Amino acid sequence: MTPDSKRRATLRTIVAAGSMLLVVSGNAGAQAIVKIGCVLPLSGGSAALGNQTRVGVMAAVEQINAAGGIKAMGGAKLQALFGDSQSKADVGVSETERLIQRENVAVLCGAFNSAVTFPATELAERNKTPWVVVGAVKDEITERGFRYVFRINNKATYDAREQLDAMALLAKETGKSVQRLALFYESGDWGRSHAANIRKLAAERKIGIILDEPAPPNQVDFTSQLLKIRSAKPDALILALYTPDHLLFTRQLAEQRLDLTFGVHSAGGGAEDPSFYAAIDASMTAYYFVQEDWQVDILDTNQDPLLLDADRRARALLGYGMSASVALGLAATYVIGDALERAGSAERDKLRDAIAATDLSSGPALFTGYQRIKFDSAGQNTFAHGVVSENLGGKRRAIWPSENRAADTRPVWPVPAWARR
Amino acid sequence: MDPYILTYAWLNGILVGAMLGGIALGLSLIFGVLRIVNFAHGSFLMLALYTAFWLQKLGGIDPYLSVPIAAPLMFALGYCVQCIVIGPLIRRERALVVEPISALLLTAGVCILIDNLALMAFGPNVRSTPSALRVGSFMLGPFPVNSFRVIAAAAALVLATGVWLWLAHTDMGRAIRATAQNRDAAAMSGIDVPLVYNVTFGLGCALVGVMGCLIAPFIPITPQVGLTFGIKSFIVVVLGGIGSIAGSLVGGIVIGLFESLAAQFVATPTASIFSLGLFILILLMRPQGLMGAAK
Repeated sequence: MTPDSKRRATLRTIVAAGSMLLVVSGNAGAQAIVKIGCVLPLSGGSAALGNQTRVGVMAAVEQINAAGGIKAMGGAKLQALFGDSQSKADVGVSETERLIQRENVAVLCGAFNSAVTFPATELAERNKTPWVVVGAVKDEITERGFRYVFRINNKATYDAREQLDAMALLAKETGKSVQRLALFYESGDWGRSHAANIRKLAAERKIGIILDEPAPPNQVDFTSQLLKIRSAKPDALILALYTPDHLLFTRQLAEQRLDLTFGVHSAGGGAEDPSFYAAIDASMTAYYFVQEDWQVDILDTNQDPLLLDADRRARALLGYGMSASVALGLAATYVIGDALERAGSAERDKLRDAIAATDLSSGPALFTGYQRIKFDSAGQNTFAHGVVSENLGGKRRAIWPSENRAADTRPVWPVPAWARR
Repeated sequence: MDPYILTYAWLNGILVGAMLGGIALGLSLIFGVLRIVNFAHGSFLMLALYTAFWLQKLGGIDPYLSVPIAAPLMFALGYCVQCIVIGPLIRRERALVVEPISALLLTAGVCILIDNLALMAFGPNVRSTPSALRVGSFMLGPFPVNSFRVIAAAAALVLATGVWLWLAHTDMGRAIRATAQNRDAAAMSGIDVPLVYNVTFGLGCALVGVMGCLIAPFIPITPQVGLTFGIKSFIVVVLGGIGSIAGSLVGGIVIGLFESLAAQFVATPTASIFSLGLFILILLMRPQGLMGAAK
């Protein structure tokens, strides 16, 4: 071997060793961090709820990392990357694109608003990136034959069914039932889809819908709509409004002392947002019924240290404790964490298969109040259920399903008129 | 239609309309004098709402009592925005370099900046500023009426009258009117036009500052609250007649009444579409607006 060829051989060895080192370190780098993208409304009309979800995701990421990360991946740490949808579909889609293409996330979650989640999940499906839906309830999100879209929480049909089931339970217990319903809802995907489901189910149960009214977002006055409700004289009112509108509506309803025999029944939205209760006099929300994917009084019975830790983090970052959105953000991240453990890889296809095979019946993913998380072939968790609470004595207490009702909770049905409060 | 409901809708339409007119006053003034569509008008209202909120939270000051603090603050802010941000553009426009559309874009930039700064500073949570005034509503005959809205509507009338008198009887008022008529002629008559601009912009913001404190007790406060009012104000001003003080109130009441009554017959989103249809129709027949002078 000539000195020249010897030098070339040495050089080849160095280059080969260097490349191997790069490959190894590259792999080690890829294993060290698993990126989770989360598209949420961090500004815009539903920003309060988006930020709560963000706190839930961050709490779960930090809890998982503190517990040693993803053990099946050599202790890989999770990293949450957020995209602000501003509650706008086009912005949500471009943020999804950024997280998939530029940030190369392994999995996505979000996007709270159905109107954003619907097109954004389509993009995720095209890019074969699994998406764990958080908060969005529009039925069709998991009814399009998509393989990469999974939803832990209720779909709109479940929400509507549960509201009517709660009314039926109270009717069974007291012998007094709702005959005439009024619907008032935000005019986006969520509100319209909820109203359509209520209409369908109410018809099956022979309950009359005597007022059916969508509302444009960000109203400055609801007097006209309250007048319509007053003149329709319903037994109960079903509401689906985001926080600012919910606040204005509730205040005006209380100021006008509009009596509804069986009260106001809200499908999550503003009425599940703790900032709503912080901004309003408690007397105005007395006897409110709220259906949400979260057992609002769960901390009375569940003292799990991880739940208490999440509650503490929420208080520190938001100024109030756990909420439905915090719980759902937490649940989604724990479902992703569990899937990563089983997949042993952050490769999108493997992770997708692991999420599809999810079957959880214990652990922090169930802090929402579910008994189990298992997806059907469409990607919907068929074990999801909400809890309906009634605001009694200044405290929101679970009243439906009866299994979630505390022993000392006595629902008030019908609700007292304003003059007798 | 039940006459009770219809009468109630009338009453409410007038109250909401007058409130909208009061909020649009400042925009009308700026529009009339500076020929600038202040896109950030709603953002200034949002700042006024937050001023009332923070004064109450930190100092325990009732939103109604925060008017004397918020109004000068908002005046100063408006004065500075005009002086520092829009002034240079107007000076260039006098040299016929810049299209008026750039002023609109500039204020749109100010709007986005203020809204996002508010979001960063105050967070996305919805807030409220209840007044210590415990009489939330009273009965006007058989109709429950919100006293806070009555106060806001009455204040809008008082403000409009005050501004009108001030424009008619003070030196600065006359200077503002002269500048609105012909800025070059006003400058040649010795009027300090840039100062008039600054004062007008400041006054416009002070007016919205007053209205912000007065609506704070019943409007939920979020960093985005300005957008809705901004768009409504724009419609009110154009409908009533650009630069017309009375027109602002008339425009507000027309929109308020129309939306309130139409909402009793059709769904609210449809009523909103009809109100925009009415807006186009009136402008087709009277391009100068209801109270504006034909040019």
